[in-house]
Amino acid sequence: MERFAIVGRFARNRGALVGALLILVVALAALLAPLFFPIDPLRIVGAPELWPGEDPAFPLGTDSLGRDMLAMIVHGARATLLIGLFASAVATVIGVSVGATAGYFGGWIDEGLMRAAELFQTIPNLIFVLTIVVILGSTLSNIVIAIGIVSWTSIARMTRAEFLALRDREFVQACRSMGMGDLKIIVAEILPNALPPVIVLSSLVVAGAILFESAVSFLGLGDPNVASWGRLVGDGRQLIRSSWYISAIPGVAIMITVLCLNLIGDGLNDALNPKLRDR
Amino acid sequence: MANTVSRRVFGAGALATGLIGKTASSFAQGEPKRGGTLVATWGGGEPQACYVPAGGGSSPTFSSSKLFERLGRRSMEGAFEGELAEAWKPAADFKAYAIKIRKGVKFHDGKDMTVDDVIYSIDEIWKKYAAAAAMTDYVGGESPDSDTVIVKFSKPVPEFFFSSLLCGGVNYIVPKHVYAGSDPVTNAANNAPIATGPWKFKEWVRGSHFEYVKNDAYWRPGFPYMDRMIIRYVRDPAGRAAAFEAGDIHIGVFNPVAPPDIKRLTGTGKFVATPKGYEESVWSTSFECNTRNPIFAKREVRQAMFHAVDRSLIARTIYYGYARPGTSPIFSPNKEFYTADTYKTEFDPKKAAALLDTAGYPKKPDGKRFTVNLLAAGWFTENGKIGAIVKQGLEDVGIVVNLTVPDRPSSIKRIYTDYDFDLAISNQANPSEPVPATTQYYTSDGIKKGVPFRNASGFHTDEVDVLVEKIKVETDATKRKTLVVEFQKITTREASNLPLVEIESITVASIKVQNHSNDPNYLASTWYDIWLAS
Repeated sequence: MERFAIVGRFARNRGALVGALLILVVALAALLAPLFFPIDPLRIVGAPELWPGEDPAFPLGTDSLGRDMLAMIVHGARATLLIGLFASAVATVIGVSVGATAGYFGGWIDEGLMRAAELFQTIPNLIFVLTIVVILGSTLSNIVIAIGIVSWTSIARMTRAEFLALRDREFVQACRSMGMGDLKIIVAEILPNALPPVIVLSSLVVAGAILFESAVSFLGLGDPNVASWGRLVGDGRQLIRSSWYISAIPGVAIMITVLCLNLIGDGLNDALNPKLRDR
Repeated sequence: MANTVSRRVFGAGALATGLIGKTASSFAQGEPKRGGTLVATWGGGEPQACYVPAGGGSSPTFSSSKLFERLGRRSMEGAFEGELAEAWKPAADFKAYAIKIRKGVKFHDGKDMTVDDVIYSIDEIWKKYAAAAAMTDYVGGESPDSDTVIVKFSKPVPEFFFSSLLCGGVNYIVPKHVYAGSDPVTNAANNAPIATGPWKFKEWVRGSHFEYVKNDAYWRPGFPYMDRMIIRYVRDPAGRAAAFEAGDIHIGVFNPVAPPDIKRLTGTGKFVATPKGYEESVWSTSFECNTRNPIFAKREVRQAMFHAVDRSLIARTIYYGYARPGTSPIFSPNKEFYTADTYKTEFDPKKAAALLDTAGYPKKPDGKRFTVNLLAAGWFTENGKIGAIVKQGLEDVGIVVNLTVPDRPSSIKRIYTDYDFDLAISNQANPSEPVPATTQYYTSDGIKKGVPFRNASGFHTDEVDVLVEKIKVETDATKRKTLVVEFQKITTREASNLPLVEIESITVASIKVQNHSNDPNYLASTWYDIWLAS
């Protein structure tokens, strides 16, 4: 019953519903890309700079080298979503571990971890990502790690705040008096209660990660073996005055995806935040 | 497109050469207009210093060459002419050259240029920094009288080689009274140079521009025409195109705007684009095999790499026709030494596959032969796109390619220090004289770990080493050409490092700019005769 209530509250937010449906379409495209476009999307298949609709074989046209835009957009959805999800997972794992430890134990552990988090927060995020990618090398997994490393701080702070509020509650004290271990209390008792706002934040980190990846690829530091929306925008930049569609199409794809993820974040907030239940 | 550009430019070049040192009466635009400010830019960023004694790349060469001068220069027709020297001639055994120094040349601080400055420049700047690789046989210089310098070598030195040395690179005459007793690399004057050229340094606003003013005491009477020159740096090609259109920049050398914008700008009738002025500094995109990898130690495999890549596709799509397939390490604009009669590795995937089969790398059951790491140097965006085309070509013959496009410092480190690549896409810019600029990519003494733009493939044979030593000391021009032709035949057959394309560098200028693109390395010339029509 509670489950359905959550779905109902989520669906009450129309924007979130539209966002979720569009993301579903993107996810399906990503999943089925190899079925529709079995050959490497980075292969040159036609004349360069064919406008969308100019040749029925290439509904979205071709880029400056003659690669199929549609194939690259659809395959690009895979890279984009994968990077977004994994980077968010990395950030959430780091953020929750750090935040939970800091919030639960307090004292010098809290001090140390939060100063470390502040250290990360003082470095401009994009520059930090670029630095890590340049040092580690431009592969998909390194980009995921880099984005995860810069995105965990807000999650850590949120988790810590939740833990600070929950750690002295009666049910926690009851657990302690029963002799339950710290780890079990953190994982099994406090975390489930602290999780809803963290989930909302993680969904926003997915959107942020997609933007980071696009920026990295736009600047030519993405993985050149993978079709990526950001790199398409960057490649098309030279032709912005003549063949603007090369930049515009992937740009719109990025915009819609990020917008939808933000809408989903809003919906999740409505669904999971009990205080807003009767808004 | 390329044709219309060249025709227009040919006219401009012919007009300009008629003007040098003569009256301007033959010039269609009439009398040169005096005064005014020229704003120039180039297709790259701000330099690390205004003048870098070792060269330091195209950016400091561009900024310093308006202030400093060389002993000689090469005309568009290929003749060597005196600049700070009046003339030079070899001794009978070609082991010494006598240079007659121009009288009445003053540095920007008012001091006379003397033979001491010339000897200091050769001993301390050229030999140690600017032309170290070319001057290994240099013994010393002396001045028998106040206007002659004798330059001595331990081996015979061909005249073309010596003349190229006087006219090339950043082989400037620097003031001894400013540089003596200091470390030239860190001398503060490098950022506010004192030299002999037509333009005097006034100011460097970092992140924005250099301001140079007319040298009133310039030795060419009546020059320069203009009062001021601004070298402005704009980071982005699209930004440069906008600045051209707004009239904020008059001339840009070395591909200031993206190829599609060249068409757009010249289409307005207010701008010209020309490939002239790069004959002594032809850029190429090179493709090299790391012979330390046993797969690429086999010549057939190296040849197959080139047969598998469609070079004309690269020239057409990536450079929009502003490039042509390369056939030899000596580039086709090189009138002295280029030969078309070389070993050809034309686009032929079937031949590539056959060569790989005979080399002992047949297709495995999964259709693959082997896996390679392809590194495309990220300093030009074009290189990454070429990487995509090369990858596709190699995959079509059954080679699995892992492409990386690192940024500039990482690319230099991985190609030239760590040798961390199987195949690399890089760039070369070579003058007409093949020794050492071109030959050091193929000789064993060119293998210098950590020195960028040298022999990174690790390829070396006694045959090539001996041949290059002969080219170095052959003073008979005809015999020397025969040796260089032989060099081209061997290196194209060995295919360790060959140009994929020769890039046609482009200068874009407002139609108001007169007397430009009239030097075979225009980026690095003094621009003493440029003027702006109203």
